Amino acid sequence: MREWNQLEYPALLFCSSFVGFVSSLTRREIRGREIIKQIYECAVMSIPVISFSLGIVSLMSVLEFSWHMRVVLRQDALVPAFSLVLTIREVAPVVTAMLLASRVGASIAAEIGVMKITEQLDQLKLLAVSEVDYLLVPRWLGCLVANVALTLISIGIAGVVTIFIGARWMGYQPGEFYNSLLLFTTGYDLAGALVKSLCFGTLIPFVSAGYGLRCALGSQGVGEAATQAVARSSLLIIIIDLFINSLWWMP
Amino acid sequence: MVTTCVAGLFVGAILAIQINLQLKDFGAQSFLGGLSTSTTIRNLGPVLIAFLLAGRVGAFSSAELGTMAITDQLNAIRCLGLNPLSVIIMPRLVALTISSFLLLVLGLGLTVFGGIIISSVSLKVNPLQFISHIPQFVSGVSIFIGVLKSFLFGIIIGTISCFVGYQTTGGAEEVGKAVRRTAVVTLVSIIVTDFLVSFVVESISQLLMG
Repeated sequence: MREWNQLEYPALLFCSSFVGFVSSLTRREIRGREIIKQIYECAVMSIPVISFSLGIVSLMSVLEFSWHMRVVLRQDALVPAFSLVLTIREVAPVVTAMLLASRVGASIAAEIGVMKITEQLDQLKLLAVSEVDYLLVPRWLGCLVANVALTLISIGIAGVVTIFIGARWMGYQPGEFYNSLLLFTTGYDLAGALVKSLCFGTLIPFVSAGYGLRCALGSQGVGEAATQAVARSSLLIIIIDLFINSLWWMP
Repeated sequence: MVTTCVAGLFVGAILAIQINLQLKDFGAQSFLGGLSTSTTIRNLGPVLIAFLLAGRVGAFSSAELGTMAITDQLNAIRCLGLNPLSVIIMPRLVALTISSFLLLVLGLGLTVFGGIIISSVSLKVNPLQFISHIPQFVSGVSIFIGVLKSFLFGIIIGTISCFVGYQTTGGAEEVGKAVRRTAVVTLVSIIVTDFLVSFVVESISQLLMG
């Protein structure tokens, strides 16, 4: 059989999981408990890290933007709204996905890798259980739901932090801020952020599972698989981000 | 190396696109070159590239050191009467710090090219116009901030991955956990450091300018 390369293999896994998910929908055999467990693992456990990081990031982007706007436009009245737009469109989806890739992606690759080297995957095959249905579909749905939810949460946190900074340090009224926010952001921007989070949430589990399923024997192999999973999915996140940017916001 | 170069190019391109969107509302597109270069160098460039580097370098070295710790290789070094801190950790720490720093600076340089390429290819901004506005916004201070951040992130990536790996105990499971902990701790401390540096420099510059 021909060897699949690093991009084709996750794509193959994605297609087979999609087919598996649809067919299990028609057969009404959804493994709800497992999916909920994965959502808990991915989303609930990552909330503290992600909300802390996003709070700091949006704080920082307000500071940086106010510096830039004072240089360019000689005023920084629109700064909080301006920096929040950048956060919604760009920073919140990407930073959330990268944190999730390093937390969840590494653990998916390591878990499946350990299952492979301890021959648990072979036992699944003996029991005629499809590894796609059993392992991939719950992780995919878990990661997808988690990433979308976390992106929304981080946008919310960025909003709260920005309003707070604007009101506290720069002396704007929250209402003023809200008005200028409506001036810049549309539902289209929010939809773009959601599209990004859907893509990243799908990308992370399949790239990581691809490395886990093909990891070399031995504990060295598991470590290597986890490393590669994190590195490759963060890189793919940035590359895909560029494409979504140019397709979504360019006329 | 390849990772950093690709990341640098793409980060520059992404930020150019996003900032272009925002400037269009003001009709200030001609400032694009200066603004996006300045934002990238001062702030988002080092962070995003350091994220990628942390995933790759940090995970690799903490996995390696963790494996050495749980397979008693570190204890073997102690038995030989050597201190594993000076024999194993210090060289790695220094090497990781220096190489992360150099890679980050290289990536930062490439972000500028990424911005130039994307804006001339798809945003219809003249490359010369792009470049001519760079010196207006990017002062020595901005470059200094970018380089300072790269240096600090290099130290963070090196230190955290070495010491989390070094402190691993238990079995293969624990090595996996150490790798994950390294990644999370590194990313969070990169973000916090980034904020602190921006904040301190901002305060100092406000003090100096009155």
